[in-house]
Amino acid sequence: MQILRETKLEGLRLARKVGRQKVLEILLKKKLGGRGGANFPVAKKWETALGVKADERYVICNADEGEPGTFKDKFILKNNFETMIEGLLIAAYVLRAKRCFIYLRGEYDYLREELEEKIKEVLEKSKMKVSIEIVRGAGAYICGEETAIIQSIMGNRGSSMYKPPHPTISGLWGKPTVLNNVETLTCVPQALVYEDWNPDYRLFSISGDVNHPGVYEWELGVKMSTILDVVKPREKIKAMSFGCFGGIMPVKKSSSVSQETICKGNCQHGAFSIIFIGERHNIVDICLSIAKFYTYESCGKCTPCREGTIRLVNLLKKIKSKKVNEGDIKLLKEFAEHIQETSLCGLGQSCGNHILTSLKYFKKDYMRYIK
Amino acid sequence: MKDKLLLNILHEVQDKEGYLSEKSLKKISVEYNIPMSKLYSVATFYTMLRTKKQGKYVIELCGSPSCVLNKSREIEKFLERELKIEIGETSKDDLFSVYKTSCIGCCDEAPAMLVNGEPYTKLTVKRVKEILEELRKNANS
Ligand code: SF4
Ligand code: FES
Repeated sequence: MQILRETKLEGLRLARKVGRQKVLEILLKKKLGGRGGANFPVAKKWETALGVKADERYVICNADEGEPGTFKDKFILKNNFETMIEGLLIAAYVLRAKRCFIYLRGEYDYLREELEEKIKEVLEKSKMKVSIEIVRGAGAYICGEETAIIQSIMGNRGSSMYKPPHPTISGLWGKPTVLNNVETLTCVPQALVYEDWNPDYRLFSISGDVNHPGVYEWELGVKMSTILDVVKPREKIKAMSFGCFGGIMPVKKSSSVSQETICKGNCQHGAFSIIFIGERHNIVDICLSIAKFYTYESCGKCTPCREGTIRLVNLLKKIKSKKVNEGDIKLLKEFAEHIQETSLCGLGQSCGNHILTSLKYFKKDYMRYIK
Repeated sequence: MKDKLLLNILHEVQDKEGYLSEKSLKKISVEYNIPMSKLYSVATFYTMLRTKKQGKYVIELCGSPSCVLNKSREIEKFLERELKIEIGETSKDDLFSVYKTSCIGCCDEAPAMLVNGEPYTKLTVKRVKEILEELRKNANS
């Protein structure tokens, strides 16, 4: 796997040798994009923050992955954390930052002690005068969103904020702040050191009704048939859910998987997580479990998302109780569309994707419950 | 509060005392000059911070899709039956508090749960029964 290649501080050494500007040039040329979903060029983000006049800048590593079905950052934390720290140090060097944070999701707290030791080791070896602090998340998914993570580190409720200002301009304590996730930062030294580094490899988290769930690395555009051959469905597969945000779709073996297929290009979050759903399940059950995720995780700041996600759960429960007619299904669709249109952040804006897509492709599963 | 991070402070207290009592929050409030209202507003925002007394073992069972596909509902029903509580409650002997949580990143070993932050995966009713017994034993020793 490309993501497991170690760089042993060679990337940092190279960065300091060639200088800040050159690092940005190389990362741009190598086409390193953010792996949080938007694929925004890392160099551009860093350049913006570097361009803001400030006496302090901060770097945050987002280790708060939490979209259901996603566990690839945990895989990196466990298997190549040193390289990720190196990426963080390179970011700190380029941005002249003295203080870095790793926002570790509370559900991964059991990894913390080991991570802290490794941070100490790498810092010592690097001889960089920066601090790296682990911020202990506490089970709020929304803190993966960049404005919310900043609020959370500053000791506030982790609610999303209106943008602008963008964190790169005014983030932690009003200073320019760069946020990259675990996968992105791990790629930084790898892209600098290895000539043959390929920007199109992505980590996939595969789970559900398959015999070989786990983290895999494939090139963008990989065929669905290739994926299925490797992960081996344990029964006939009826559908797949792209994490939570990407919707529930039928599986087409000939299709290829890219950012566009997962999120139709308009989703902020899309990690490459595929949950395969076997034939014996009713899609409405899966929808209900996803809908509950949104009610747990809505930060409550805007009404459509806070109240609407609860209404979606209630409607789905009502459908399952068979006390509905077709009008309720129409209502479900309208509700989902309406919440998405009127919510502030990516969470609310995608909270109906699973419902809208499943209504489109698996209406039969809903109709089973209609009087 | 730039030097000490509030989230880490709250976690440290909870690690030691099991939850964030009013008394402890008052101490933090005085020491760091943060109003109580603000502390409660933050502490109650995060599901893993708790302002009420908890059982000795806090169980968080994943209710997200990969676990549901792997029969987490059976585990849920078993826990409720075995501990004679509903999700969100604490057992009479004060040993177990049980919650449902969103994905804990163990989807490839589903169904999964955290007990006091430690992951337990590939759960079956039989395995959960053993885990509970083990925990009960540890609690008494
Ligand atoms: S859309 Fe939902 S999660 Fe996002 S800010 Fe609004 S209430 Fe919070
Ligand atoms: S869905 Fe249960 S751990 Fe991810």
